[in-house]
Amino acid sequence: MSVEGVSAIFGRVLQVGDVGSESDFFTLGGDSLLATRVLSAVAREYGVELSFDDFADAPTPAALAERIASLR
Amino acid sequence: MSRVVVVGAGLAGLTAATDLSRAGVEVTVLEARDRVGGRTHGIEVAPGAWIDAGAAYLGDRHTDLAKTIADLGLKTVPTTMRGQSRFVLGHGRVTREGRFPPLSAVALGDLFDRLDDLVQRVRVDAPWRSGIPDDETAAAWAQRELTRPDARAFFPLFLGEMMAADPADVSVLHMAFYLASGGGLRYLNAFEGGAQDSRVDAGAHQLCRRLADGLGPGVVRLDTAVHTIDQTGRSATVHSASATYTCDAVVVAVPPALADEIRLLPDAPVRRTTPGTAPGRAVKVHLIYPTPLWREQGLSGWSVNADGPLMSTVDDSPAYGEVGVLTGFVTGREATRYAALTPAEQRREALAQAAAIFPSLPEPTGFQVSNWVTERYSRGCYAALLGPGDWNLLGPHLTTPHGRVHWAGAETSTEYFGLMEGAIRSGHRAAAQILAQHRPQQA
Repeated sequence: MSVEGVSAIFGRVLQVGDVGSESDFFTLGGDSLLATRVLSAVAREYGVELSFDDFADAPTPAALAERIASLR
Repeated sequence: MSRVVVVGAGLAGLTAATDLSRAGVEVTVLEARDRVGGRTHGIEVAPGAWIDAGAAYLGDRHTDLAKTIADLGLKTVPTTMRGQSRFVLGHGRVTREGRFPPLSAVALGDLFDRLDDLVQRVRVDAPWRSGIPDDETAAAWAQRELTRPDARAFFPLFLGEMMAADPADVSVLHMAFYLASGGGLRYLNAFEGGAQDSRVDAGAHQLCRRLADGLGPGVVRLDTAVHTIDQTGRSATVHSASATYTCDAVVVAVPPALADEIRLLPDAPVRRTTPGTAPGRAVKVHLIYPTPLWREQGLSGWSVNADGPLMSTVDDSPAYGEVGVLTGFVTGREATRYAALTPAEQRREALAQAAAIFPSLPEPTGFQVSNWVTERYSRGCYAALLGPGDWNLLGPHLTTPHGRVHWAGAETSTEYFGLMEGAIRSGHRAAAQILAQHRPQQA
């Protein structure tokens, strides 16, 4: 479980390079459809199923990693 | 090259006619309807306030359409979607921000991952060479691939919204191709920044009207349905019930099912459809209000519904003026059922559902149904739906002329297939083909 891992998921879904740990997914061009693809990747990689509202509340790699860690 | 007959006065045919006319070719456009426009059509819902009964939306990647809009002196207006959405997906009525349905995000993400995997694998310019088997329907694919209930529930709604298809209508290959051709899942799905970013101010039907006007008087002949194209002689003759037109080349710019109603002499080795090709299944229902009342209530007008007839609704109010318009999309299997109802039944069902989705709204003051499913001279909307095997059989011949007969139309463009952009690109391509192949020898 790492912030880098979540950053890598953001980068893959958004098709952008380095995503900083405090970068906001929606500011980087993400929308709700792409957000679901982050959450399906999180479920596959970390075994944690988050809701869209969870993601909307924690839309940066750092915040989302923290949310994932709290649920594992 | 002196004379060309264009069959069909939609965007594709009128674009081809305009290009040919500018190149000095004498053009005649034959249109079966009593109007130009094809699958674009305007309805005047209040004095000077027009809405789109047919094709409506465009995005920034629709570059040829943008050029046509600018050339014709028209403007675009952004689609507005501010406020909360409504969802009626089997767990009561849910109101929330954004267009995201209250379903499992992980299940939807898993669905989009699988669809995107197909989109990445498909070869848009030649789908039949993608290596994706062309023997399976999207329904069979979903049955096998989608295990989560929310993904299974949402998939037909998504396919209905994206391509006016029931999952049983289309091959997996056509689904993948269509999504890729339109710019991918995210672009095709999005309003702001996507394929539904804007509309043509005061209606997309104006494009065809102005293109037709630009061709000059007498060029477009309405109420002229073509039944035969004969090229057994030294030129081509195009036959309608009332007249025969002799020419050097023909552009057939009508949907594939209608192209196949035209008798070709000699016949083409491969026609434009197979028995497995289905018409696009879309009916648009327009609910007209004195003003966009839902906006005052903090609602966007966007809704997604598990049951029909209104599978989704969207705020389609004209950009200027008072009137408010909610457009309901009846798509997929539900469109076929709804299309067969009497006008009174259609009205009753739509108003009852609108009241259930938006109980705070009064009964609309106006009601219109644009039934593209049974429209004689469209045979479906948004576009023809290719079934299993169709791309392998039809694809290689999509743009190949049959002698003097050239093919145009939104279904002949592998770029933005089925959209206004695809129609315009096909018109430019067909005109360029004719000018290249039939250019007279220089003395």
